[in-house]
Amino acid sequence: MSQPPPKRQKRAEYRKQAAEAVGDESAPVGKVKLPKKKFYRQRAHANPFSDHQLNYPLSPAHMDWASHFPAFVNPDPAQTNLIGTRNLLKDVEVVDIGCGFGGLLVGLAGLLPETLMVGMEIRVAVLEYLNTRIQALRMQQQQQQKIQSQSQSQSQPPSSTSTPAPAPTTPAADADTPSDAPAPPDPNTSTALVPGGYQNISAIRSNTMKFFPNFFNKHQLSKIFICFPDPHFKARKHKARIISETLNAEYAYALRPGGLLYTITDVEEYHHWILRHFRDETAVEEAENEGPTVKELFERVSEEELEKDECVQVMREATEEGKKVTRNNGNKYVAVFRRKQDPEWV
Amino acid sequence: MAANFQHPFQCFHFVPRPNTNLLIGSAGSKLYSYSAETGERLAVWPQEVDSANANAVDADSGSEQGPPGKKRKVSASESQTNEKSAWSSIPIVTTTTNGEYIVALTAEDKCLRVFQLQEDGSFTQLSERAMPKRPSAITLTSDDTTIICGDKFGDVYSLPLIPSDKLPVITKALRSAKLSHPAATNLTVHTKGNRRALEQQLRLASVGKKDEKASGPTFEHTLLLGHVSLLTDMAYVSLPVDANKKRSYILTADRDEHIRVSRGPPHAHVIENYCLGHTAFISQLCVPQWAPEFLVSGGGDNYLLVWKWAESRILQKASLVDESSQATEVAVHGIWATSLGDLRVILVALHGSSLLQCFTLEADGTLKAQNPIQLSGNVLAVTPIEKDNTILVSVDPIRQPDTTQEWRASPSSPSTLIEAFHIKSSTDTLEWEPAAASVTEKINSTGTDEVLATTEEKQRKELNDSLYGLGHLRKRKGEDE
Repeated sequence: MSQPPPKRQKRAEYRKQAAEAVGDESAPVGKVKLPKKKFYRQRAHANPFSDHQLNYPLSPAHMDWASHFPAFVNPDPAQTNLIGTRNLLKDVEVVDIGCGFGGLLVGLAGLLPETLMVGMEIRVAVLEYLNTRIQALRMQQQQQQKIQSQSQSQSQPPSSTSTPAPAPTTPAADADTPSDAPAPPDPNTSTALVPGGYQNISAIRSNTMKFFPNFFNKHQLSKIFICFPDPHFKARKHKARIISETLNAEYAYALRPGGLLYTITDVEEYHHWILRHFRDETAVEEAENEGPTVKELFERVSEEELEKDECVQVMREATEEGKKVTRNNGNKYVAVFRRKQDPEWV
Repeated sequence: MAANFQHPFQCFHFVPRPNTNLLIGSAGSKLYSYSAETGERLAVWPQEVDSANANAVDADSGSEQGPPGKKRKVSASESQTNEKSAWSSIPIVTTTTNGEYIVALTAEDKCLRVFQLQEDGSFTQLSERAMPKRPSAITLTSDDTTIICGDKFGDVYSLPLIPSDKLPVITKALRSAKLSHPAATNLTVHTKGNRRALEQQLRLASVGKKDEKASGPTFEHTLLLGHVSLLTDMAYVSLPVDANKKRSYILTADRDEHIRVSRGPPHAHVIENYCLGHTAFISQLCVPQWAPEFLVSGGGDNYLLVWKWAESRILQKASLVDESSQATEVAVHGIWATSLGDLRVILVALHGSSLLQCFTLEADGTLKAQNPIQLSGNVLAVTPIEKDNTILVSVDPIRQPDTTQEWRASPSSPSTLIEAFHIKSSTDTLEWEPAAASVTEKINSTGTDEVLATTEEKQRKELNDSLYGLGHLRKRKGEDE
C-alpha cells in the first residue's frame, strides 16, 4: 500500500477542512457551511462486542461535559469534577442512543432549549460529521444573533449594544442566552434563529451497550431515544440488538421514575420485539407466571398521549432514517414507555 | 513414574462435615476428596477404578470375540494419561455451607455438575446441566437452594440446586421465538443484494424448512441479568437491614471494568448502583462473610480497591507492587478472606506468582500490608481451616515459580501440591510458620494425575493456558477500524 485510494484521501481532506472551518471564529457571515454527509459515509453496522478504541470516563463523575456544553458551564471555576474539568449548571437529561447523523438532536434542540441533550454513536465517521455539524450550526446561530442584536440596537439607545461575551473556556463558544425568537426550529434555513442556538446538543462516540453507566448516574435521565435501531435480522444476531431484557435494566437504571423511553422502527418484527421486552399488554398474564422481570419497571404510554408529544413528531419526521423510510413508503412503528417506580424490597 | 509431573489443584476447599471434615480439590480433569485429619485420599471422580475395569473388560472381550486390533492400542498406562473425558479441567468448584453438595464446572462441555458429597468422601453426581455458553463464575444463594451462574457472554442465570421434576414451561418464548418468515420486507431493505437475499429467504420459508437447531437448554433456568461483556466474577451477599430483616444482592464484575450491584432474585433487574474505579479488567470480587459491607476487588490493575460497595464508595486503593516495578503488567489471580483468631485476613495471589500477599482488614475497611508468604510454586488456590488457624495453599509443581509458561527442568518427587501455614501465636503482627502437617505430606505423596515430563510443546501450551488465561482479558490497543 503506497497511497490511500483517492476517494478516501479526498474525504479525509474534506473532513479536516470542515472541522477547521467551524473552529474559525473569524469566518465571515454566510461562509459557515454545514458539512456534507457524502464525505462521512460508513457502513451501517458496528460490532458492539469488540473492543473499539473508545474513550469513556471512569465514572459519571469523571466525565468532561464542559467541553461539550460550553454555554452551560458553571461560572464558578471552583466547581470541578473528579478529573478537574468544570461542572455544568445542570445535568444532561436526554440521550439519543445510536444518534447517527444527528437529525433527532438537531430537531429537538429548539424544542427543549434549556435541556442538555447528548447523542451517542459508535461509528467514527458519522460522529465526526455530527460534531462538525453541531459546531457549524452553533456558529451560524451566533452570527445570526449578532446581526439581529445589531439591527435591534440601531433602534435602541446605544448603551445596550452588548453582544454576547465569549466564554473563557473554549474559543468556539459564546455564553449566549437562549433567544426568545419565535422562529420555528428548521435546521435547513440557516437564517432562522433557533432557541438555544444549538448550545444544548452534543454528541459522543461510545458503545452504549457496554459503557452507558460510565456516563450517567442513577435516575439522571428524563428521556432516552432509540430511533431506527439496527434490526439485526438474523436470529443468531439478536444478542447484538440494542433492546434486550438485560440492557433494558440499564436503561431503567439511568432513567428517572416518570422518565420516557422512545422507540421507533420501520421493521414490524422488531416493533413486536420491543413490545415483548418492555410491556406486552396481551401477554401480561403469561409474564406474571414467570415471576417479575424487567418489564415491571416500564409501562406503555397511550396513543393519545403520544399525539400531544412533540418529540414523537420530531422522531418520526426529523431523523435521517425517518426521512428515508418516508421516501421508500415504509411504515413507522412508535412505542414509548414510561419508567415506573422501583418495586418495594421484599 | 517419578519422572512425571503431577497435575496441580486448580481448586481446593476445606469442607466441614458433621463427622469427618474433608478436603476436596480439582486437578486436571478430576475431582479428589481427602480426609482433612489424615490427608488420606478417599475418592476420585470420575472413578479411576471403573475406567480401569472398563478397559480390562474391553480388552478381555476383545480377545475373546475376535477383532481385537484397535482396542488393544489403548494400553492401561495410556488410558491414565490420555484425556478420555469430554473435558480437560474443572476450573470452578464450590460447595454449599453445610458441605453436603458440590457444584463443579467441567470446562469444555460447559456442564454444571451437582454432586452429593457422601460421608466417606465419595462423589455422587446428581445432575449435569450443559449451559448455553461457557460459565465463568458460579455462586450459591445464601440459603443454598439456587445456583447463580454467569457466563462468557455476560449473562447470569439462576438454576435450582436440585432440579425439580416438573419440566420447565417454555418460558423462553422471547429468545426462541422462531420466525416462520423473514423479519425484513421490501419496505425495509432497499439495496439490490439485500433484496436478492430476502427473496431467497422467502423462498426457503415457503418450502417450510424447519430450524432444527435446539433453542436453549431444556432444564429450568431463569435469566437474571446481563452484561455486554465477559462476566468474570460474582458474589451473592446479604446485608442486614434491621434485626430480623436482610436484603440480598448480586455483585457482578466484567472485563470492561464494571462492578454492578443488583438486587437479589427475583428483582435482579433492578440495578442499585455501580462500583466504578478500575481501569483494567476485573477478575476477582471478595466480600468477607464476617464483614459483608466491604468488597475487595482486583484484576488487571496493579492495585486492589476496597469498597463500601452499597454506597459505591472507594475506601482504599491498595498497591500490589513495589513502586519501582510499576511497569510490569499484573493480574489478580485470587483474593481470599478469612478470620483467623482475632485477625481478619485478606490473602491475595497474583497470576503466576509464588508470593502470597497478606493484608489485615482494619475496622475502618482499609487494608494493612503484612509479611507475605513465599511458596515453592505459583499460588493457585487457598483454603483456610479457621479452627486450626491454618491455611492450605495449592501450588503449581509444574511451572517454574513466577512464570506461567516455563516448565521446571524435572519433576521433584514427591511433587509439592499443597503447603500448609500456621499463624504464629503470641505476636501482634501477622506472622506465619510452615505447619509440618502430616496431612499435606500424605496428599503430596499420593499425588494426582500425572503429566508426562515429555509432554510436547503444543500440549504444554494448552495446559498453561487453561491454568493461566487471565492475560487474555487485557485489552490490546490499536485493533480498531
